[in-house]
Amino acid sequence: MTLTAGAFYLFAFVAVAAGFLVISARNPVHSVLWLILTFFSAAGLFVLMGAEFLAMLLVIVYVGAVAVLFLFVVMMLDINFAQFRKGALQYIPIGGLVGLILLAELVTLVMAWQFGDKVADNVTAPIPAAEQVENVKAMGAILYTDYLFIFQTAGLILLVAMIGAIVLTHRQRAGVKRQNISKQVARKPKDAYEMVEVKSGEGIGSASKKG
Amino acid sequence: MTADLPSFAPALPEIVLALGAMALLMLGVFRSGKAYTQVSTLTVFLFILVGVLLVAYVGGERSVTFSGLFVTDSFAIFSKILVLVGSGVALMMSSRYMADHGIDRFEYPVLIALATLGMMIMISANNLLSLYVGLELQSLALYVLAAIHRNRNRATEAGLKYFVLGALSSGMLLYGISLIYGFTGTISFDLLADSVKTGEHAGIGVIVGMVFLIAGFAFKISAVPFHMWTPDVYEGAPTPVTAFFAAAPKVAALAMFVRAMFGAFGELVTEWQQVVIFISIASMIVGAVIAIVQTNIKRLMAYSSIGHVGYALVGLAAGTEAGVEALLVYIAIYMTMTLGSFAAILSMRRNGQMVEEIGDLAGLSQTNLPLAIGIAIFMFSLAGIPMLAGFFGKWVVFWAAVEAGLTPLAIVGLLASVISCFYYIRIVKVMFFDEPAGNFDADKGRAIPLVIGVSAVLHSPVSFLLISPLIAAAAWAAKSLIY
Amino acid sequence: MVEAIYSLFGVESPLLYLTAIVLSILAIVLPLLISVAFAVYFDRKIWAAVQMRRGPNVVGPFGLLQSFADGLKLFVKETVVPAGANKFIFLMAPMITFTLALIAWAVIPFDAGMMISDLNVGILYILAISSLGVYGIIMSGWASNSRYAFLGGLRSAAQMVSYEVSIGFVLVCVLMAVGSLNLSDVVNAQSGGFWNWYFIPFFPIFIIFFISALAETNRPPFDLPEAEAELVAGYQVEYSSMAFALFFLGEYANILLMSAVMAVLFFGGWEAPIPALDFIPGIFWMLAKIAFGFWMFAMVKAFVPRYRYDQLMRLGWKVFLPLSLFFVVFYAGIMVAFDLLPSQG
Repeated sequence: MTLTAGAFYLFAFVAVAAGFLVISARNPVHSVLWLILTFFSAAGLFVLMGAEFLAMLLVIVYVGAVAVLFLFVVMMLDINFAQFRKGALQYIPIGGLVGLILLAELVTLVMAWQFGDKVADNVTAPIPAAEQVENVKAMGAILYTDYLFIFQTAGLILLVAMIGAIVLTHRQRAGVKRQNISKQVARKPKDAYEMVEVKSGEGIGSASKKG
Repeated sequence: MTADLPSFAPALPEIVLALGAMALLMLGVFRSGKAYTQVSTLTVFLFILVGVLLVAYVGGERSVTFSGLFVTDSFAIFSKILVLVGSGVALMMSSRYMADHGIDRFEYPVLIALATLGMMIMISANNLLSLYVGLELQSLALYVLAAIHRNRNRATEAGLKYFVLGALSSGMLLYGISLIYGFTGTISFDLLADSVKTGEHAGIGVIVGMVFLIAGFAFKISAVPFHMWTPDVYEGAPTPVTAFFAAAPKVAALAMFVRAMFGAFGELVTEWQQVVIFISIASMIVGAVIAIVQTNIKRLMAYSSIGHVGYALVGLAAGTEAGVEALLVYIAIYMTMTLGSFAAILSMRRNGQMVEEIGDLAGLSQTNLPLAIGIAIFMFSLAGIPMLAGFFGKWVVFWAAVEAGLTPLAIVGLLASVISCFYYIRIVKVMFFDEPAGNFDADKGRAIPLVIGVSAVLHSPVSFLLISPLIAAAAWAAKSLIY
Repeated sequence: MVEAIYSLFGVESPLLYLTAIVLSILAIVLPLLISVAFAVYFDRKIWAAVQMRRGPNVVGPFGLLQSFADGLKLFVKETVVPAGANKFIFLMAPMITFTLALIAWAVIPFDAGMMISDLNVGILYILAISSLGVYGIIMSGWASNSRYAFLGGLRSAAQMVSYEVSIGFVLVCVLMAVGSLNLSDVVNAQSGGFWNWYFIPFFPIFIIFFISALAETNRPPFDLPEAEAELVAGYQVEYSSMAFALFFLGEYANILLMSAVMAVLFFGGWEAPIPALDFIPGIFWMLAKIAFGFWMFAMVKAFVPRYRYDQLMRLGWKVFLPLSLFFVVFYAGIMVAFDLLPSQG
């Protein structure tokens, strides 16, 4: 359908253009914003492919959480990026050389492009066929069976990342006053004050015990 | 729609280790940060339990589980035992250093346990995907360990450098994996072996992918030309962490390398052999030559480890069962040598400060003769002087290479070890013939002298008695890989 | 809904299909914008009533046209762009906020089949769009080049990211019971009277959802981003005229959206409370439930004093996150134990 084709070209063009702007933008905050646009267009492409679950995850995880933190960090950084890039020009020859070599390798690769004989056998077809089952169900069905091991190990990796972040950044500072909300809420009137009968003319000097 | 659960039995040691590490984490958290000694001791016991399970429960039979993602066989058992010993001993040596530097946090043993778990998964990987997740689990824990002394600039620099370069190498690895997947349609080792076997021409795409994969591995085992991070990380990280880095992860990464090459690309041996020969030669030479100018003993050990990885790779380069056997013997011996050497470095303490320069060892024979003798044994063994264990290791790998028709490689290896003798023996000379630089503090704990003593005995000529069981075990392990 | 309008044309052509899409979008957006105007009015009225004031009562009968007068005033004012501001981003920010507040309505079902798109991943779509909402605020905060705005933007970003986590877990609980991410399926699973509505079995997570929705929309008591006592008006401080109006409209459209999501997830969407009332069209019930949700939002604004920022973060990460995680495990356990899981289609 023409509508789909039009949407594809729109998303594809925006993704590529925004990707280019990510690296060419002068202001790092702009770079991150272009990056977000790239992610978003990529999510659009996923939808066109029928992978709506992946598309939504891409938006929620990358755009909604990861890129926000990127933006946070970049906004907070006090780096003069113009100065940062001043020296970049002198690396152009060597960078270009590396790029050329990579390009040559890619060209050789494409020239000798040849799939193994068994690709068709090895690529397992999804059961049931992709059209008959919802994305989410299909993914869940293999994620928690065939790839259970990977799924659990990935969880352990995240655990290590969390421990690492705490080990490397958490500092117990002395002398910080902290609020203990449950303690505050549980406080009864009798913990806070005391009724004293003060005889007239004697003052409260002898009667008060608690502050 | 309840799917059948996969068989957990072959992975039971890993599961126990994972659950144990999490339990210890909870223990540490609820003891509110004062539980280092307790958690550390329990972690060592956990390692012992896992080792017992490996030998007694899992055994050397090849079995595959988790839909072919996980494999265990005698090769895995052998390497995992080595890894557990390396991690456990490194952890035992750490206590005093960590306490002295105020970094005795309970997360340290937990991270070591999780890194060890990652290594065991790497060793048992039967699929490029499980290989990758195991590798990341291990690496991520190692990045944190390198920077755990976060108030010290050198340590954070080491952690950051390791992290950035490690991410780069993971990228190469993934790029290689995606090429391999693209050209064969699979990432399972069994199917890969099948695919490259039947194809008359493996296709240049698979080979390029494999080379990228090897580049990623070479980074993890710090082989030249992907070794740049090693000296800085070894020097910057706290010494017990360096000891750990030099022992367990090396073994695991080498084992993973070997399994990937033989398990998945066994038929492409002529293709990967060239690459392995190149990195092996480069590592041996760089390790031998650049170490000569080092004055810091941790940097020296870094270059030494680069060189030793080169020697171990000679066994892989042979591409035969005997080669794998030799490699396993070599890494077992190397691991004990390096743990002993780092135990000695950990006892280099003067006026409550750690010292790391070679000059600080001057005249050690007059102030602390047992330590000097221990270090001398390690240095001679590292250099490969006959009668010591290090010699056997070199002998078996070179012999395997000669048998496989790679005599020039063996000769280069011999030359490199002759060059490397220079700096190992220089340390011995400094200890025995220079003016004393002053006393070292006495060791308070028992762990470090014990490690020095045991590994010195293991490397002394006594090793004659042990070498044949070791070779038998390595042969048993290597047998399961070639089929 | 699109298909229904398309079939009205009686002729097949891509252009007409596009027209049908545009028409159905208009059919949602125009009533929405008008209801936003009245929502602002009701918000102010409720607030006033709680404080024993009269509220807006001058423009039109009972002051009903107050919002339109305010809108007109904003419309004729000059848009001021601060000298140090990043002009492009400064002007983009309100537009993004406003657009995002509107496009999330694409999947809200007003009645059986009455929505622009019946996405299979409708709930995730809403979560995705609401997680994008933070960009409008953070961009405005940064582009204004003003301290108050910047602080407001940062606060808001941290706040929205924090509370999204617990909203996500709440959704997981509901999804487990439904067995689908489709909003129509969620409603259908609650059919047959109010005793089947999810706010009864899922009461604790409904509370978590409601409070998180307050935080997600930056409503009091979580309106820290614009806390006038500290930040003047937070990220909106430099905005005037239509740019400000767009923020304002977007904010209220988001509140209505959250009420609609709450209606769908916990109050049976377009279903009547008792089956005897089924003769009344579903759209009436849906709108009534949205209005009820909005009333709760407005009451909270009137009752509850503003949180301090650290308390807000504590509530999100130390209370709601563990609680919602616990409830995911709890409900999953109950469903497995008593075999209540929806059958797999």
